[in-house]
Order: sequence, then structure tokens, then C-alpha cells
Amino acid sequence: MSHAGADSTAFRLTGGELTEWLAGLLREGKRVIAPVEEAGLRLFRPVTSPEQICLAPGKTRLSPKDSLFPKNEKLFSYAVRGDEVTLETPPAEDREQVLFGTRPCDVAGLLRLDTVFLKGAPDEQYAARRSRTAIVSLACESAEPECFCTAVGGGPAAEEGSDVQVLAAGELWLVRPLTAKGEALTAALRGRTAPSQEEWAQARAGIERAEASLRQNPVAREWAAVLEANFDLPLWEAVGQRCVGCSICNFVCPSCSCFDVHDGGNAFCGERCRSWDSCTFATFTRHGSGHNPRPTQPSRYRQRVLHKFAYYPQSNAGEFMCVGCGRCVRHCPVGLSIYESVNQIVSAAREQS
Amino acid sequence: MFQTAQAGSSTPPTLGHKDWEPRIVALICNWCTYAGADMAGTTRRAYPASVRAIRVPCTGRIDPLLIVKAFEQGADGVLISGCHPGDCHYVQGNLVARRRFTAFRALMEFLGLDAKRLHFAWVSASESMKWATLVQDVTTAVRQVGPLEDWGKLSDARRAALSLPPMPAAPREVPSAEAQEATARQLQSLAAKLLGDGQASVVIGYTAGPLPDQMVPAFITRPEDATKLGWNERCYNDLATFLPEAKRKWPKVAVALKRCDGRAAIGLLQEHQLERDKLVQIGVSCHGVWQNGQLAAKCYACDGEVGSASDFTVAADGVHEGAVAAATKRTVAADPRDARIAHLEALPAADRWAFWQGQFDRCIRCYACRAVCPLCYCGVCVADKNQPQWVPNTIDAKGNLTWNITRAFHLVGRCSSCDECARVCPVDINLELINHRMAREVETRFGYRSGEDPSASPPLATFRPDDPQEFIR
Repeated sequence: MSHAGADSTAFRLTGGELTEWLAGLLREGKRVIAPVEEAGLRLFRPVTSPEQICLAPGKTRLSPKDSLFPKNEKLFSYAVRGDEVTLETPPAEDREQVLFGTRPCDVAGLLRLDTVFLKGAPDEQYAARRSRTAIVSLACESAEPECFCTAVGGGPAAEEGSDVQVLAAGELWLVRPLTAKGEALTAALRGRTAPSQEEWAQARAGIERAEASLRQNPVAREWAAVLEANFDLPLWEAVGQRCVGCSICNFVCPSCSCFDVHDGGNAFCGERCRSWDSCTFATFTRHGSGHNPRPTQPSRYRQRVLHKFAYYPQSNAGEFMCVGCGRCVRHCPVGLSIYESVNQIVSAAREQS
Repeated sequence: MFQTAQAGSSTPPTLGHKDWEPRIVALICNWCTYAGADMAGTTRRAYPASVRAIRVPCTGRIDPLLIVKAFEQGADGVLISGCHPGDCHYVQGNLVARRRFTAFRALMEFLGLDAKRLHFAWVSASESMKWATLVQDVTTAVRQVGPLEDWGKLSDARRAALSLPPMPAAPREVPSAEAQEATARQLQSLAAKLLGDGQASVVIGYTAGPLPDQMVPAFITRPEDATKLGWNERCYNDLATFLPEAKRKWPKVAVALKRCDGRAAIGLLQEHQLERDKLVQIGVSCHGVWQNGQLAAKCYACDGEVGSASDFTVAADGVHEGAVAAATKRTVAADPRDARIAHLEALPAADRWAFWQGQFDRCIRCYACRAVCPLCYCGVCVADKNQPQWVPNTIDAKGNLTWNITRAFHLVGRCSSCDECARVCPVDINLELINHRMAREVETRFGYRSGEDPSASPPLATFRPDDPQEFIR
């Protein structure tokens, strides 16, 4: 990870000043999406006032990916009048949005989505939204038991992908613009005091605290090939045996990008939508004939593990698709841990060879 | 087939429009009401043109999903009408339907749909006058409540405004670690014995999971692995969920069951999903499950005794054959779900509707509720059927509402109240309240409690001639 050092372009803000800055962004007409407490759970929601935002330690229940890759999205609609067919695409996103208070693992997740949706032939709707999105990340001062970001190349203060990084230093907030977009976003802060050495030290202490509690051994890049080579290892059956086939893991995941395209309509009008889909569903691969190439739940769970740790890394310079936020581990109804599964398979493969 | 009004259709005129006419879908039986309506026409009786009649072969054919679809597609009201009890062309179709309608009506009322939108009647072939009056009355009722504009729609203002009363203090404490470990050891010795002497080819229990203090389902197939089994207040999973699949894999399945899970196993036996002689039910004496320091709602009123069908009872003091009651009774308290239901029922229907739509709006359709439900064992769930697309696969408020109503209704009279759906819901939808409310409806209306008698017929698959029908005109 990179270390938040004494940075002369950074600003030190009190809670009130941070609120004021965010209020300014809202006044400019930007959509600010931030963690909000709702009915006892924390979710990313567009806010109307900075007071709604919750920056307490910990993660939101769901990742912020919905803001760039909505769980349901219209691709186009059609209408038939006589011999004439009209197609209508939804208006392109034109509002600037700020993802505020995003944890570094979630930012890493959004970068994985960028790879999927922007590399090669870019997805128009994703690209339109992405180009109008600025990411303000919030470094972690503590880690939760399920977190394992440092094992997959991330860290509690990872900067990659953030336009602005915010660090907590006691009652103060240290705001670091990291990109041109970030500079523009923090334009209103120009002239504010830069943090003192003590304040940096305080922020660093929080990050180190988080790092110290992240003790999981790193997943080695070479394991991608080992996992794939052991596709037929009988242990997969035992590993995925208790998987019940919901899609919590994929839907809470910040980097899962699969979707289902479906048409709803009649002879006169209708629309084509895409919505989140999940490799853990039997319907994900069931053919029209009824044949299913991934016939059992363990074989579907294996797909999830291999996509994150073998297939994606092999076509993306070794980078894992999993960002180690641990949400899938925390929320799995039967306590499956993708980190544990990877380790189980790799050690079994080693024993065998 | 069911996608006619999804997109691009003209916007319905709203309340305040002088010329707004309610759109009412009438699902009517071919043998009586349809003929009655026909007679009303031929005898030139005047009644409002607001009703779109759909002829069905029998009210017994009316899956409540048809009613949901009508609302979803833009109906402002739905009218169901068939033959009077005793007059069914198929002898008892309307009597089975009557129970279904009782439950569905209660469900929709609890969710907060205005009762003026849903009507039931018996109209015979000769009652053309009754039909004309009925349509007039239904139209008036629907007109009073106006267009149904908030089906699967939620105003943000109402989202956060409604909350549930807090949970009361738990009636008991978490048992001592020693007592729990003693129970675990008894469970281990029984599992080793069952696997060793061939009484079981697998024992499904709990073992330590990857996170601190986590217990997860375990499938133990070798006697020497029995020591991996554990037992404590964090054994949340309803292991009966795994039984239909385990049955296909192993010839004899033993399973550790808490009281609530035992009810699910009985439900599965009742619905012929399991064979009794290939199942070993290990009832584990339970003091309740605790999550984040909070006793689960389902446990407050539960005495924790093992299910009556248990083959073995495992407790801290040993393994007993059959179902054996605990030496000391656990302290029980009022079921907090009842207080929460009462709170919701005291609200105006519109607020209840907003509350549930706010909850369903969060739904991400991960189908974890379905995946962990022991009674959701269908090979292909109706939500996965796409010819036609019964449950919209769009993950939005409308699709979510249809899914959640469908899920709830399919469990009426079957739900074993393990509340696992609510525990695993990643967005904290209070599904346990819906299930519990419906369990109470089935108990008060039909005198039936699920998961008690493996030889009983599920309540919505049967009827009594004198079932209550005060809501049917």
C-alpha cells in the first residue's frame, strides 16, 4: 500500500468544515452518494444533506457498485406503430455524482468493474456514468473480522482509483486530492490549512491499527494457475457442499459484474433491461434444453472462486478480482469464506503434487 | 402473456380526473358467475363497464399470483367470484379456493393493501341481479380509494419514517459454556455411534466456521470426524434445509434439529419430500439462538423442547432415545413478533403499505430467503419460470413486491417459523413478521399449526365445509 505521507496539497478540516464542503457540492447540483443509516443498516444512498452521512468505522451492507452498475437498468425500449418500429434509448446520465466515504476495498471493486465494462468495447451507459463520477475514499481506521484486503493486494489506505482520499485524525479529517478530478472537487478548499506532522501521525496510527488486525496471509499470484489446474480436484465438492445457492455473495460483492438481459413487452411495445445475475444460481447456466453444464451447487461455487482468483487474474496481469472486503464471508448464510476456500484448494493441490 | 401493460402504455388518468374510471379485473368461474354475468347482459341489467372479466374454469384455478399480476399490470381493484359452496362443478374446487382466499386476503391486509381493492363473492348462474349489484358496489368501493398508484412505488419521504418497536429483554440467559460443550460432546458420541454402526451414512450438524465464534453446517460421514461437531447458541442454520438434497446423496441421513428445525422436517415428511425410515432426527435441547447479544425473536416463546418426532434427544445430561422433555423448563416470554405485528396492525393501512414497500424496496432478489427455507424445495421456483414471466425479473420495487408476496403466500400453513429467511436477508427485511402473521391466521381460521403432525394435510390443500367466509359476499 502507499502511505499517506505529509502531503502539502492536503487540507485539514473540522467536522463542520467537512460538512460545509459537502453541502457546497450538493449546492452545485452534484449527486452525493454516501453511507446512510437506514432501518438499522448502512447503505449507500443519495443524500440531500451532509448530516445524513455516516462515517463511522465499518462498511456498508452492500457495496456502492449500484451507483455505476444499477441492479436493474433499462437498455432500450421499443414501440411498433403499423409498419414503423421506433427504438428509444434512455437519456444518457448527465448529472455529476460523487461517491463519498467509499472504503478502499470498494474503490478497488469499482476499478474491477471498469475493467469489465470499459476495456475493449466500452459499455455506453456505464461509461457515461463513470466519466461523471468522482470517488472520495475514506481510509479505514479499523478492520472487521471478515476483512482481508491486504491478502489480495489492497490496504486500509489504498489510494488507487480514488480522486480524493479522506483520512480520519481524531476529530479532524485530512483531505487529499489525488487526481485532476479530485483537485476540481476540492477547489472550494483551496487556502485551507495543511495538516500538521502530528495530525498526519495520528491518521497513520489509525491505518496502522487497521493493518495490524489484518493478519491473513497473502494470496500469491501464482495460485491462479494452481487453482485452475485443479479444477477437477474432488475437494471442491466438499468445499462447496453447504452452499445453498442464493446470491448474497455476488450481490454484496463490489466487483461482481454479471448481469442477465431480459425483454419485457408485447406486440406493440416493450423494453429490454439488464439486472444483476449470479453464477451461484442454477438458472445462470441452464440451457434451453434443460441441460446445465454446472449441474451442482459446488460446481457453481467453484465458478465464483475461480472467476475471482483464476480466470480474471489470468487476463488482467495477475490482479485478483476479489478485493477482500469480506462481505460475502460475513453475509453468507452458511459461512462460506472465499479466502478459506482458496487456501483449502491450494494446500490440497500442493499435498497432491 | 402477462407483459401487456409493462411498458409504453398510456399513463392511466389519476385521481382528480373527472373521467377516471376504475379498472377492475374480475376473475370469474365459467360455471356460475360467468353465466350470471352473461344473464345480466341478456336481461339488459345496467352495471358499470369498469370490470374486465376473465373466465376461469373454477375458482379453484385461481392462484393468488393471478390477482397479484392483475394489480401489477394496472388494475385498481380485483373481484373474484365463483359458485356458492356446495355448487362447485368440480365438487370442491371453490372450497379449497376459499381457504386460499382467506389467507391471501389476510396477507394483503397485513401488507397494507386497502381492503376496498379486493373483493370476493359467490354468484350463481341465476343471480344476474346480484352480479349487477356486486359490480356496482365494487366499482363504488374502488372509486372511493382511487387509482392504485403506489403498487411497487415508494415515496422517499415515507421510507425512513416508519420503524418497529424495540425488542424486549430476553427471558433467559445464554447457557454456560460448560453446558453447551457437554451437549456438543453428547452429540459427537451419538454421531460417531450412528455412523459407526451404519444407522446413518451422514450426520448433518454444526462445526466452527471461518469467522470468530461462527458455527456453520457440517456434513460428517466418518465416525472419527464426529469430534468436529459443536453446539452453542450460534447454531443458527435450519439444517432441515439440506435434507431433500442429502436424501439424493446418502441412503440414511441423520440431522441435528432444534425445535423449530424439527417442525421443518415434519413439514417435509408431510409433503412427501423425505422418507421417514431413511431419516434419523436428532432433537437437540435448545435454549435459543443469540445473534449480536440478542435472543432471536422466534426463541422468546419457545420452550426449546425437542420435536415430538425426534428419534434421539441430545442434551447436556446425555443422549436419550425418542423425544424426552428437559428436566428443567426454560423460562418463556411473550413472542416479540406478536407485539411488532400488533404495532403494524394498529397503523393505518396506508402506513403499513408504505412500511412494507420500504422494506421490499431494499430487496436485491438474492433469493437467500428461498435458498435457506427448508420448505422451498421446488425443483424450479415460480420466480425462475419465464414462459410466461410470472415474477418480473427486474430488480425493482414492482418485481420485488410480486416476489415477496409470492414467497409469503407459498409458505402459508407450511412455514415452520425458523425465521432463517429473515436472519439471512442481507437487507434486513422483516420476513419473520409476515410469516408469523400468516401462521396465526392459519391457526385462528383453520385451527392448524404447521410442523406438528406428519400425517396432517397442509391447511391450504384441504378444507372444511364450515370454513369461515364472512368476507365473501
